Amino acid sequence: MSLRFKLLLLGLATLVLPWAGCRYAREMESALREGEQSSLQSVAQTMASSLQGRRDLLYREVPPARSTDSADTDESQAPVPQPEPRPTPYDLRPVLLFAQPSVDGYADEWPQGKSAWRYYAHGQHEFGILTGVFERMLYVVLDVRDEHVVFDAPGASPLEPGTFGDRVWLGFQGPDGVEHQVFIGATGFGSVTGRRIETGEYGQQTAVTEPRITGAWQPSAKGYRLELRIPLSMLGERFGVLVDDRNARGAEPVSYGTLRSDDLHTVGRLIVASPDLTVYLRQFLQPGLRLSVMTPDHRLLSQADALAQATELGAERGFLTRFYRHLVDRSGARRVIDATATIYDRDQGSAIGLLQVTQTEERWLTLRDRALTRMLNLTLVISLVAVVAMLVFAARLALRLSRLRTASETALTREGLVTTFPETDSVDELGDVARGFSTLLGRLNEYTGYLRTLAGKLAHEIRTPLTIVRSSLENLESEPLPPSAGVYVARAREGSERLNGILHAMGAATRVEEAISSAERTRFNLIPVIDSAVSSYRTAFPQREFALELPAEGVEIEGAPDLIVQMLDKLVDNAVDFSPAGATITVRLRLEPHAALLEVENPGPPLPPESRGRLFESLWQSRLGADSRPHFGLGLYIVRLIAEFHGGNATASSLPGDSGARFTVRLAR
Amino acid sequence: MRFHPLSSGGSLEPMKRTVAIVEDEPAIRDNYAAAFTREGYVVRTYANRKQAMAAFGARLPDLAVIDISLEEEPEGGFELCRQLRALSAELPIIFLTARDSELDAVSGLRLGADDFLTKDLSLAHLIARVNALFRRVEALRRPLEASQIVRRGPLTLDAERMQVEWEGKVVLLSLTEFWIVYALARHPGHVKNRQQLMDAANVVLDDNTITSHIKRIRRKFQAIEPNFDAVQTVYGMGYRWVE
Repeated sequence: MSLRFKLLLLGLATLVLPWAGCRYAREMESALREGEQSSLQSVAQTMASSLQGRRDLLYREVPPARSTDSADTDESQAPVPQPEPRPTPYDLRPVLLFAQPSVDGYADEWPQGKSAWRYYAHGQHEFGILTGVFERMLYVVLDVRDEHVVFDAPGASPLEPGTFGDRVWLGFQGPDGVEHQVFIGATGFGSVTGRRIETGEYGQQTAVTEPRITGAWQPSAKGYRLELRIPLSMLGERFGVLVDDRNARGAEPVSYGTLRSDDLHTVGRLIVASPDLTVYLRQFLQPGLRLSVMTPDHRLLSQADALAQATELGAERGFLTRFYRHLVDRSGARRVIDATATIYDRDQGSAIGLLQVTQTEERWLTLRDRALTRMLNLTLVISLVAVVAMLVFAARLALRLSRLRTASETALTREGLVTTFPETDSVDELGDVARGFSTLLGRLNEYTGYLRTLAGKLAHEIRTPLTIVRSSLENLESEPLPPSAGVYVARAREGSERLNGILHAMGAATRVEEAISSAERTRFNLIPVIDSAVSSYRTAFPQREFALELPAEGVEIEGAPDLIVQMLDKLVDNAVDFSPAGATITVRLRLEPHAALLEVENPGPPLPPESRGRLFESLWQSRLGADSRPHFGLGLYIVRLIAEFHGGNATASSLPGDSGARFTVRLAR
Repeated sequence: MRFHPLSSGGSLEPMKRTVAIVEDEPAIRDNYAAAFTREGYVVRTYANRKQAMAAFGARLPDLAVIDISLEEEPEGGFELCRQLRALSAELPIIFLTARDSELDAVSGLRLGADDFLTKDLSLAHLIARVNALFRRVEALRRPLEASQIVRRGPLTLDAERMQVEWEGKVVLLSLTEFWIVYALARHPGHVKNRQQLMDAANVVLDDNTITSHIKRIRRKFQAIEPNFDAVQTVYGMGYRWVE
């Protein structure tokens, strides 16, 4: 794995920051929710306390119940607070309707839950009753099971018992406590109106329409359905319903319901919230809140709802926010919080109702979102910056490392020549490595330089003693000597000349390097140079034949003609040394698109395979050539230097069949 | 007058000439001294610059052979040469150096040395030079003798004074360089190979040094005449003078 990749992974590890942020946001959300919950609880508590003992606000204020046989209608009497009456199974608790039902006999627009229905049965007969309140109107739905619906005889007097069909009686106490009875009868399905029986002053009974009580009578699967509307102002504390089920007109009915069947006296109460309660609640309403007051058994009395009105607080709906919210929100989390407090009676004895405060998520969700957005943005930015910084750093590191590697590769050329190493002054570990390399190369350079110049230095050191020897011998020769001494002087002279020759050869490479480095380049034609050189070889080496193969047209290169001749001299020397007497040495110039190839071939032994790659190095191999001149293996080194000076190189190979050797010098053109 | 490198030339003047040898290696110094003495010169030897200068201040020699590196001064010879030149403008000075690489450097210094050579010079060749230089001093003191002048086109060669002029302007050549030019220009068009040039110049050196001598000669002429190309290289053969 490259350094960059590793550091990228490390950088990506900083993404743990946003993740931690999300976790934190969730925790914060729980904390916020709890905080809101408790504050909502105290709000509910406060409101409940404010409603303490306010039974009048919760429920419709009903004057204390008077017994029907009491004639005392003194209204100046202050109402005496009554103890809480005991609940009966005939109590009716209308649900709070949120929309006006259409009184058409069909209960489609009513809330569909079965729990609000009350069922009253007598034997096979049964009806269900559902009551609801909407804006000072009481709505009643009666679902009566009746296999055989019997209608009143049309056009007959409603008081004629023989014409009676199925009838429904409503019995209620008025606000003044007086019992009223209203009956509903119909001649067919459709709208109905309530009628009451009034007794005239002479005792005659008439049926009078009660126009305030209207409804509709429709068939149902089980029997019939009656939907009625009664103004709450008519109704007092008690209310009841009785069904007269007749299986034939004028027959004896089966009566059952919530009224006493003999005198239709009310038994059950109608428990309805006070209309002022809603007004009261509305004072405390704020957008995003819902205030509900319920009976102790959780039947809704009144409600003020502004849940959907959380407007300006729920504004942030940007893409990022939604994305963050999606990340953070737990599925199935409740979208509202609510708190419930009990409304107690004045003396804290019993509960008269429940207050529930519901709040939407919007308020605290927005707070959370705002904080979350800011924090996630920040951590993401930090993460990004960290990753980018690491990438940049890694890239720089990798670059420096690869530069170091390149420098170290090129610093030491194949021949061992050490070139310069780039300086660096950065203080970190890489800089140390680079400086270490530099030092290493410097020392290597010194050492190889020392080695290379060793021969020259040795030669120089030897030169002085050699000069002493030679000059002494010269003087000796001028002195009178016995002939026998002359022999020795001559030998010494010869030896010192050979020593001198060796010294010259030792310094030859250095001299060539110097000559090369100071040589001037010119453009010249190779052909005449080679031609005249070969002519001189013919004279110098009569025991060899020279074959010359040159291209017809001129070959121009840039370089130093003297050096070319010197190089050719060395190659021909070599060829002469390694070929038998009478052999033909071939000098050839071949052309390639951008090079001129100078080849010298000689028959003789092939090149030893192990020396192949090392021929052109400045080896110190002393051997005697055919002319017993000492050879130091520097000739080929000089050939290589001159070839490189001319932008080329030198190679050697054996002739096919191992019949000889060929040296090829490539010159750039 | 033809001059053979090995002829003795010290017999022209009755008074023996003084040759000063400044060389820090005692054996070499003494060997040189013996050879010069045999040749008939009076030899004074000095081991370092201080000794030499002290003596020169008192009395100048007729010729000085100076080793470049003297005791602890690697370039003491240069300094001595300068001081000596300050004392005498015509005194012949021969530089000896152990390294060939210094020849170029010395040549470029324009110290007014008459010749500079490496120490593997044979004694015979050294003596030949000293003789030639003394002859030149003599020739410079005498009036110009037209018979010794060789003209080749713009080139004027005075074999006695060992002076070269190109179109009337003096070209300052060292003794060795003069001998090479003389050998080439005497027979224009004839190719002289390296061996012949070495013999003419009284040196035994490898080919590279002849090449660098030729290079120096060309440069000195080119300083006067930028288009100088009278010395032509014949590859593989040698050099020749073209007019």
